[in-house]
Amino acid sequence: MSITLNALLKSPWVFHLSTGSCNNCDIEVLDCLTPRFDIERFGMLLTGSIKHADVLLVTGSCNRKSANRLKVLYDQAPKPCVVIAIGECSLSRGMFIHSYNCPVPLDKIIPVDAYIPGCPPKPEAIIAGAVKLIQKVRGK
Amino acid sequence: MARREEILKDIQTRFREDIVDFFDKSSKRVYIEIKPESIVRVAGYIFKELEARFNIASGVDARTHLEILYHFSLEDINLLISLRVKLDRENPEIDSLAPVFKGANWIEREIHELLGINFRGHPDLRRLLLAKEWPAGVYPLRADYREWDRNAIRDRGV
Repeated sequence: MSITLNALLKSPWVFHLSTGSCNNCDIEVLDCLTPRFDIERFGMLLTGSIKHADVLLVTGSCNRKSANRLKVLYDQAPKPCVVIAIGECSLSRGMFIHSYNCPVPLDKIIPVDAYIPGCPPKPEAIIAGAVKLIQKVRGK
Repeated sequence: MARREEILKDIQTRFREDIVDFFDKSSKRVYIEIKPESIVRVAGYIFKELEARFNIASGVDARTHLEILYHFSLEDINLLISLRVKLDRENPEIDSLAPVFKGANWIEREIHELLGINFRGHPDLRRLLLAKEWPAGVYPLRADYREWDRNAIRDRGV
């Protein structure tokens, strides 16, 4: 493994994007940062800009307008960038699958590396998903 | 309670020709169906003279017609007045309330794009929510809306 990848996995910086979610998944993502779960002990840090991020967390069902913004954000992310879909909406659009405003799921817009199901997923599930993804990238 | 009856009686006598139906549902809620052409007069009176708060307007496709409910609340007497107008499905048009009060501006833009109701005299009838690539003349909240996007995926892939 290259030294940059090793450094990135030591402390992946996370950018959190809501593409039209009901905010419940976003609340669970923020829960991961609270002292009870404390995702920073894995070196993860929530950043304010996609240009500093190694991981893109996506919640929500990707409506027609936010899909364009999602593509722009993904292009701006420094590569390698892993994408994690959080919640049923970003996996398969959940109950909004027949909505006129949600034509395609997230993984048809940008490549997705990890899926964390749940409505909303528990903070434990989000942490487990993130740790599994790190181990997979490490090649363990 | 006395002021409530006073206000309702006043509306009924003042707009005798404009009111189609008057439905006193409960102590907190009144539905007044009026003719579409008198919306500016009646809503303007309720907003300006009775000093009601304009909460929101809701558009409904009732299949036989389109209707808009304008909800006004009188908080001092705990009363919600809903003005109902029924519009022709073929050519839905009504006078805009945005010149009377600014709060009607965005909700009229939203009803315009989602239900296709034309608001005469609206200062800026652009799209509010729908994406740029959405085709003109397709209204997603109409009951006869059909999928137009051939690239849409409507199964979960499992």
